[in-house]
Amino acid sequence: MTGARKLQGDKVSEAEAIQRAKQGDAEAFEALYHLHKRRVYSLCLRMTANTASAEEFTQEAFLQLFRKIGTFRGESAFSTWLHRMAVNVVLMQLRKKGLPVVPLEETLETDEETHKKEPGADDVRLAGSIDRIQLEHAIANLPPGYRAVFLLHDVEGYEHNEIAKIVGCSIGNSKSQLHKARMRLRDLLKTSRAEKATKP
Amino acid sequence: MTCEEFERVLPELEGGHNLEQEEHLRTCSACADLLSDLNAIEQNARLLGDQEPSPRVWNNIETALRRDGLIRQPQLQLVSATLHAPRWRFAWLVPIAAALVYGVGLLIMHWQVSTQVAHQGRITNPVVESSTLQSPSVSISEDPMIKLVADEAPGMRASYESNLRAVEAYIHDAELAARNNPNDEISQQHLTNAYEQRAMVYEMAMHRVLP
Repeated sequence: MTGARKLQGDKVSEAEAIQRAKQGDAEAFEALYHLHKRRVYSLCLRMTANTASAEEFTQEAFLQLFRKIGTFRGESAFSTWLHRMAVNVVLMQLRKKGLPVVPLEETLETDEETHKKEPGADDVRLAGSIDRIQLEHAIANLPPGYRAVFLLHDVEGYEHNEIAKIVGCSIGNSKSQLHKARMRLRDLLKTSRAEKATKP
Repeated sequence: MTCEEFERVLPELEGGHNLEQEEHLRTCSACADLLSDLNAIEQNARLLGDQEPSPRVWNNIETALRRDGLIRQPQLQLVSATLHAPRWRFAWLVPIAAALVYGVGLLIMHWQVSTQVAHQGRITNPVVESSTLQSPSVSISEDPMIKLVADEAPGMRASYESNLRAVEAYIHDAELAARNNPNDEISQQHLTNAYEQRAMVYEMAMHRVLP
């Protein structure tokens, strides 16, 4: 049993692990990593749709956080702080690579564009017909800004006030981005279903 | 309420609707379908599981933390464990006590050696009676570390006692040899080694019984 697993087995609190990590305790760093690795890695993976990039960004997010752990005062949740690092790392890298990132402030997209109907969009409700692969694929096709808010809210379960802190926007903006992300997903899923139906 | 009005308030809806919205949903199938689809997306998204990164991610992080000097394992781990175990709050005194015992032993040895040298001319038989030296069994039974080990890890008491007895016997023999051969460097070295071994036994026992 490694030290970190022992920490988890003994149910050492996150707060205690943070205090011990501040003193340079290797086991505490490892315990914090194991507590949050899956959520951070999954977020990075869905943001990049690439395993190697997701690992690289997960590593970078944790390293940035651990290097600054001495400054953590506990005003916000540790996981919020960590996810803010992860989202910033991913969005920055995506910008560096020249991929389009929808700005986190309100987009110029009009309601007409948002609610544009795709072929076959009015036919049948999506409920009951969404499978995991389709949804993962549709999420990967969202613009990164929408994708981040959607993943944080609908997949990770963060509230809008937490997302506002993580991505650095207003609560209203977070709600708006989420709604647009869901609307875009609806279009993508219906288009995908229509294409599937027309295939021989 | 019109469809445009409903769609405008849609981002703010968190599950609940007011009477006006409910009425609109009953009469407008397009908005009802839209809401149903958005709810289905939300529900399916919650079912997407998390995935596990490969072990190399942590390996890389750990390597970088060590390189940056952020991980300071051995001493801090010991101090941290001590601080978090109230019963062992003063356990850090044990190695200091061991070092003191070691130091005092060396001082006594040097004092005895110098006394021996001063009276060398008057001594006809240099062999010292072994019965004049302290018996190891006496000091072992009073050893404070034995009591700590017995309290915290009773199963280790026998092996610790055996180790300590062997070390005390070594010290006993080394002291005897040093007295009989005060100018012999090898005898002095044996005595030093013997005291170091006792300090090591103390330290190992403390590490093992700490939580």
